[in-house]
Amino acid sequence: MTRPAVYVEGAALEISFADGRRNLQELIFDTVRAAVDDSGQPMHEIDSVVLAAHDLVDGRSLSSMVTSPAAGAYLRDEIRYGDDGAGALAAAVTRLEAGHARRSIVAAWGRSSEHSPDQFSRSLFEPFRSRPLGLDEFVLSAMRAQLCLAAGDGVASARERASLRRINNARANPRALRDGGFRSAPHFPLDDADLPLWADVTAAVVLSTEPGPIRLAGVGQSSEAYNFGDRDLRTITSLKTAAERATADAGFGADAADVAEVDGLTLIDEALGLEAIGFAAPGTGLQALAGDGRCNPSGGGASGYSPPSMGLVRIVETVLQLRGTAGSVQLRQPRRAVATGGSVVAGQTQTVVLLEAVR
Amino acid sequence: MSEPVAVLGVGQTTYVRRHPESSAADLIWAAAEEALADAGLGIDAVDVIIAGVAPDALAGENCVEKTAIFGTGKPFLRVNTGGVTGSSTAFAGASYVASGRARAALVVSLERMGQASTSQRVFNTIFDPVYEKDFPLTTITMAALRASMLMRVYGYRERDWAEIAARNYRHALRNPLAHLHLDVTPEDVLDSPLLAWPIHRLEACPMSEGACAMVLGHADLAVGRNVAWIQGMASTSDSYAMGDRIRRPEGSLVDLLSLQRSAVRAYADAGVTDPRKEFGVVELYSPFSSAEAMTYPALGFCAPLDGPRFIQEQQEDTSLPVFNPSGGPQAANPVSATAMVRIAECALQVRGLAGERQVAGVRRAVATGQGGATQFSTVCVLGTQRP
Repeated sequence: MTRPAVYVEGAALEISFADGRRNLQELIFDTVRAAVDDSGQPMHEIDSVVLAAHDLVDGRSLSSMVTSPAAGAYLRDEIRYGDDGAGALAAAVTRLEAGHARRSIVAAWGRSSEHSPDQFSRSLFEPFRSRPLGLDEFVLSAMRAQLCLAAGDGVASARERASLRRINNARANPRALRDGGFRSAPHFPLDDADLPLWADVTAAVVLSTEPGPIRLAGVGQSSEAYNFGDRDLRTITSLKTAAERATADAGFGADAADVAEVDGLTLIDEALGLEAIGFAAPGTGLQALAGDGRCNPSGGGASGYSPPSMGLVRIVETVLQLRGTAGSVQLRQPRRAVATGGSVVAGQTQTVVLLEAVR
Repeated sequence: MSEPVAVLGVGQTTYVRRHPESSAADLIWAAAEEALADAGLGIDAVDVIIAGVAPDALAGENCVEKTAIFGTGKPFLRVNTGGVTGSSTAFAGASYVASGRARAALVVSLERMGQASTSQRVFNTIFDPVYEKDFPLTTITMAALRASMLMRVYGYRERDWAEIAARNYRHALRNPLAHLHLDVTPEDVLDSPLLAWPIHRLEACPMSEGACAMVLGHADLAVGRNVAWIQGMASTSDSYAMGDRIRRPEGSLVDLLSLQRSAVRAYADAGVTDPRKEFGVVELYSPFSSAEAMTYPALGFCAPLDGPRFIQEQQEDTSLPVFNPSGGPQAANPVSATAMVRIAECALQVRGLAGERQVAGVRRAVATGQGGATQFSTVCVLGTQRP
């Protein structure tokens, strides 16, 4: 059976911190409005709204009661996923392909200035057998980092160079956070430069099946076990499987992409992500981040970070690259791109999206 | 392009105040295994899993669905749309099947609210922390505001709410999965303690735990099987602020514009033109009996001013559909799952597998979902005929 192609018509993102002039709904409204304006479509042509947001991040139960109208859902078909924005985009794609919607807004956000990311992270763990150990998402990233850094010669220097490049990319990115933000306390062997810069992040796209300049060529999703003892921490199995599915869908893989925007909580997670999707060979993710300009030109998590919006942010960055409107981090005429997004706990669920510029 | 979607299997735990012997994963697995067995499929045949869990605070454990991921390696998403979580979850799974990205989708909704010491303190946190939280606005007081408006605008009496509740409890006596099995009269309902005028305790839903799962599948998987077809489904979101809906020209706070618009779209897809005659069963997500009255005109069963009379008509006119043969949310309200339970119960009725609560000759049924400050509404039409 043939599915209709889905295109990105509009995209927008904003990274700020503790903007006292706007509440969360106003931040959401501004970004969704920008994406809709960018699409050139009037609101009456949009019949679906798909959201990625989490009550614990938004600071109130069933937060979509107040946030969904700000995202354009008034008297429209709307659904909110409690997973990463890339996963919500994948679900939105199925609605369009099925003919359940004609044109959809997809929006995701997180406002780190109004919650404690560390407390949120700790609260995700099972309360009786895991949480008392003091586990949080960074502990798992640190475990991954130990395995990664113990892999052999050259890894430490690649990490240093990758870290420097990441920070420089973020400085060059016109959409990166300029003032404010904060970092968590690093767990050994992570250091400050490996960590994300917590920020207030909103991202939105407009999708439809009407032909446009950016096609969503392939989408793949996967999951893995909750207990990290059941996982191989040297790789991200769910991301690898998701990439294989996206490749089968698109007819080309991440290795054919001219730009890769990979979501990861830390620098090491970004490196492992590049390896999992096949953009870098196993064990060379840090080298790729250090020396391959196609890898996370946006600066990744150093530009500003707040789940569950990050997969959609990565997608917006690739859309801008493919359009040639990424500003000072623009690559030279990329034609294909790959973006990823992972969700709690420690990337348990993953989405890979392959995009293509239609010339 | 839209592939037809069949409900291949249904699984439900019992709905009780607490399941102390079961973890969240145990409940999810129990419902999922039953649904898979009913569908005649193993987990390997499932291409995507959608889990529905509403406010984490009710469970006292966050992202509880992630602890229960099974069939590892499959696409897995969590939906949280409050009261409509169950139907949103089903609709999400249906989109994966209808798009051709999945041949079979497992959708499962879990409610763990027995872990909450008091649900109303949690529900108080869904309202604005500055302007509303201190009223204290809760789902009960919110429903009471609507009930009193229905009485003033459309002429309902307290007894109407009691009669609806008594009918729901009477039906629940035939549903072994229901949380409450009460043999009560309208007088008993009116004699129960007042929660917030005009709502009495027996007009409100209980706090229930449990899980509901369904396997949705492509037409190929339905060959030779007793299935229910999803003939139409629609979801609509409304404004949050209740004050904005009091004098709105399109429909007031008690006119349930979101449900009305969902019904129009779902009926159009299903080809339903006369809901009074074309449905054998109606399963409503109305956690308060007074809230049920709001659905009658929105679903096209009567004009708004005829609502009170329609309650009597249901008792006298046997050609009308049977409302809530399962007992509805008055008899069990596992919030995250309730809207899926409505769809599952309709699927069982259409398949003729509803046991003692089976209504004879059901060829088509409609299920609703309701959530938020009555701002999220879903309608799902199921039937024996493949669309």
